[in-house]
Amino acid sequence: MLLKITHHRHKMKLLPFLPLTLSVVRVNTQAVLKRAQHIQGRKLAKKQWQAAWLLKAVTCIDLTTLAGDDTPSNVHRLCLKAIQPVRYDLLKSMDMHDKGVTTAAVCVYPSRVADAVKSLKAANSSLPVASVATGFPAGQTPLKTRLEEVRMAVVDGATEIDIVINRTLALTGQWEAMYDEICQFREACGDAHMKTILAIGELGTFTNVYKASLVAMMAGSDFIKTSTGKEAVNATYPVAIVMVRAIRDYFLCTGHKVGFKPAGGIRTAKEALVWLTLMKEELGDDWLHPHLFRLGASSLLADIERQIYHYVTGQYAAFHELPMA
Amino acid sequence: MAGSTAKTVHDIFQSMEYGPTSSSAATAQAWLDHHSRSLGLFMDGKFVCPADRQTCSLVDSKGSAVCSTVCAVDHDVSKCVSSAVIGFKAWSSLSCFERAKVLLKMGSVLGQHGQCVSEVCELSKTSCSPSTLLRLLQYYSSWAQLRDSLITDWSPLGVVAVVASDDCSLYSLMQKVVPALAMGNSVVIVPGRSSAPPALLLAQLFMEAGLPSSALSVLTGSDVSLGAKVAQNPNISYVTYSGNKQDGVTLCKATAGLGVPVSVSPCVGATCPFIIFESADIDSAVEGVMETAFKAKKEVQWVLCVQESVLDGVVSRLRLRMAAMKCVALASEGDRAQVDAALQEAQKQGATLLQPCAAPPSGTQFPPTVLCGTAPSSPCVVNPPPGPLLPLMSFRSNTEAVSLANHSPHGQAASIWTEDLTLALETAKSLSVGSVWVNSHSMSDPCLPASGHKDSGTCTDGGQEGLYQFLQPSSSSSSPPLPRSSSISMDYSNFGTATSPAVIPNGSDPASAPKSYLQFVGGKSCKSESGSSVAVQSPEGTTVLAYCPDGGRKDVRNAVEAAIKVQPGWMKKSMSARAQSLHSLAKGLEAKRRDIAASINAQTGLSLEEADKEVELSIARLSDWAACCDKIQGGAPPVPQSGFALSLPEALGVVGVVLPDNRPFLSMVTLLGAAIAMGNAVVMVPSQKHPLPALAFIQVLQSADLPAGLVNIITGSRDQLTAALANHSVLKAIWYWGNAEGCQYLQYTCTSPLKTLWLHCQKEEKDGGMDWTQLRPSHKEEMWRKAVQWKSIWIPTA
Repeated sequence: MLLKITHHRHKMKLLPFLPLTLSVVRVNTQAVLKRAQHIQGRKLAKKQWQAAWLLKAVTCIDLTTLAGDDTPSNVHRLCLKAIQPVRYDLLKSMDMHDKGVTTAAVCVYPSRVADAVKSLKAANSSLPVASVATGFPAGQTPLKTRLEEVRMAVVDGATEIDIVINRTLALTGQWEAMYDEICQFREACGDAHMKTILAIGELGTFTNVYKASLVAMMAGSDFIKTSTGKEAVNATYPVAIVMVRAIRDYFLCTGHKVGFKPAGGIRTAKEALVWLTLMKEELGDDWLHPHLFRLGASSLLADIERQIYHYVTGQYAAFHELPMA
Repeated sequence: MAGSTAKTVHDIFQSMEYGPTSSSAATAQAWLDHHSRSLGLFMDGKFVCPADRQTCSLVDSKGSAVCSTVCAVDHDVSKCVSSAVIGFKAWSSLSCFERAKVLLKMGSVLGQHGQCVSEVCELSKTSCSPSTLLRLLQYYSSWAQLRDSLITDWSPLGVVAVVASDDCSLYSLMQKVVPALAMGNSVVIVPGRSSAPPALLLAQLFMEAGLPSSALSVLTGSDVSLGAKVAQNPNISYVTYSGNKQDGVTLCKATAGLGVPVSVSPCVGATCPFIIFESADIDSAVEGVMETAFKAKKEVQWVLCVQESVLDGVVSRLRLRMAAMKCVALASEGDRAQVDAALQEAQKQGATLLQPCAAPPSGTQFPPTVLCGTAPSSPCVVNPPPGPLLPLMSFRSNTEAVSLANHSPHGQAASIWTEDLTLALETAKSLSVGSVWVNSHSMSDPCLPASGHKDSGTCTDGGQEGLYQFLQPSSSSSSPPLPRSSSISMDYSNFGTATSPAVIPNGSDPASAPKSYLQFVGGKSCKSESGSSVAVQSPEGTTVLAYCPDGGRKDVRNAVEAAIKVQPGWMKKSMSARAQSLHSLAKGLEAKRRDIAASINAQTGLSLEEADKEVELSIARLSDWAACCDKIQGGAPPVPQSGFALSLPEALGVVGVVLPDNRPFLSMVTLLGAAIAMGNAVVMVPSQKHPLPALAFIQVLQSADLPAGLVNIITGSRDQLTAALANHSVLKAIWYWGNAEGCQYLQYTCTSPLKTLWLHCQKEEKDGGMDWTQLRPSHKEEMWRKAVQWKSIWIPTA
């Protein structure tokens, strides 16, 4: 095996901007679509394989709430759900109760970071808090305030920052300017993990997606993320294929493994399994762990828990039988 | 299974392995159980299980028994074929609409039983999705409906035998069965081992769809020799074969001289180039390799050709993508030995291996392997072993990619990857293969015609073009061009070696001494290489009219060499330039019409007036072909997949023509016109009996503006020259008018490489029912269709 799993966190190195690599980027749309169909068409495993894969998906979820009406109370509920994402008795019957099955992180707006940190601390959990930042979701605020937003979220205790790229720069082909911006965000993040949201629904072409992915990685992103969940088109499999192939290319060039986070519109357990399959197929088993793969989702967890309930009990659960987030 | 069910959730959570995807085969098992697991022959619309027959048992991929099939014997064959004759009468007398309705109905029957069909295919290790079969049925049902309105003046052949080798897929088999039925023929399927159970099931379903019983029968056997047995039955009108090359050759040899045309599509085992240019979407191209190159059961052998500038990128991606791959099961221990030997040989020549894991020391499990650094001369490229091996070669430039890809005896298909449209189309045009897939691979659809180029086949399948193999020009009175006969025992190595009898004219006065003609090779009039000549007798056979060169093997060699040099340029010429040249040839003929008429008169005894008419007709015919030059074209048939597909007619290359005795001049001009109008070069052997008009025509050829070497005329012993043509690998086709022995010789000999044969056994004044003076439109169509091969180009888009 060429890929040896290296679990330690390494600080991403900033690469110089390489305009040459961007100019030769070619993506064949139909081949990518066909590949996506192929992955979606794969037969999914059943029984304990399904249960295990679903639990793995749970551990990769960034349990998210990004709404205007978020308050300390619903953020608190979210945090507790993140700590115990699947009912204890269900986990126990699979002998998974002591294997640390939690979601990967909770993800909130910057103003709610302090609430989340407080709730988790009260529950004795070391679960990371992720914060969106940089004028989420549109990114149409001055650079100065965007940078300040990042710094404040970090001060409040967020250890992961989901930044959005400046689509204006991407669409007008100002890749180097975009690179410079992201480098500044990287610096503002400090030790926090940086996930860069490409907002693929607003980038136009696969080639732009590929270029934006490369630029984001060169500027030191730990993860690249498909979308904010607020655009018309969110995480789709073909776009994901383009992005993970960029990750693969980056790995081949530099030896650095960058993570991938699809987000937006992922609601069913089956979709979660397809996402895991896509990662396994395109990037290999290394990318099946929360340090390299996240699923940005809010309602997905409920469906996964229902499926696991069915695996354990043979019955389909009513919604009230499973704890709400 | 016991071991894997013991895996706990936590184990799997850690390893993240794929689980078993068990596919059920319940409906297939139920169908097989219904037949007590022994499937009979299918004739007269039902299963027949004759007693005391040998059986063949079939095992699935896990090695457990699936069912057994009967090995048909001579008696079964004759019973089956005679019922197929009745089936043909019933089926061909239906209206087009009724036939179309049956095929459509079959589509819906297939829809109901799709699960069973795909499960039976799965068990028989010949996976075939019902949706592709459905597309076949739908496409050809519309051709069945439109036959009489769009393909006028053509009629079905009769009973068609479709033969497949053991490794032929069900789809390749049905790709021939369905169009044969659609055109109104009855069909006897002789499936290979793996396609037998699904073929039997489909035959049963066809009955449910309302096909007249015995219009479709299935005869199973132990190997391809059953196909030859079926072909021996005099009621079989046409044999078409799909499968591996070796069995195809066996079938050709076994059916030589039976007077039945045989066409071969060796779709299994051909070597196909997979070309990745630097302008490709490398990731998608590598994914294409992953999908197709390492399958346990693959129909074609891919050779990966990568542009040097992106070689490292491709190899490193392959290495990453292959890392998670598991070993693939080889068919047998024997295959393992072959694989080991090939790898050893390749490594000895410096090839390096790319494998996800080392090969187990023994057994039939073998890891996917890329052989980096191979060359066209490597044994694993020349003679690819079975198994998940992929030779990789690198090339420097676009033109080198084409020469590398074309440097192969095979001409089945190629996959090319580039985002550069111009490069894609230029490359697609230059590759001598039947199908080109741009940024894709292994696509197929019945609406696209594809001929195997070079050694990859002798017929066109798909599209309207592919229907003509199952049709013949309707002509009420004529006998078939190739009458049924039984093969004669002949010594193939002695054919055409008899020396021509020397005729020494007795004491005529020098003033009226017969003229010595020259033949025409490479644009020059010349003597034969041997220097000797033969006498041409007058029609009464009493006097020597003239001497013509006694051409032989070396003359043919010179002619073919000259022809292949100019043919590509001729093909590339614009249509109008080609038409112009043909017009000028007609004009030149006009100028010499008296000379030619005189030689026809002297040679055949036809009155001068009649002879002049024949020349006039010949002039008209040349103009006809000139006019056809830019009218025969491919197209862009609508394919169900998103994107574009093109079908292009292409010249065959160099065609050998052994000309008829009847109407020696008109027939020559007609055939010559057809061949060169379509872009071919020809080596013509004039009638041994009546060579003078052809020799007189040389003066016209010399003054015409045709490239030197495009048309060659060699006289001499027909058999000797036929043997010479048959043994020249450059020729892709031979059109032959001659005797039964010659037909048999050609059928037997022209198998390696395969040549497309158009055979006519001429008796007396009849030659294959062709009335040269009044050529029916369908005859003309047949002629130009014989002179082209088809290429399909796939350009899928989003």
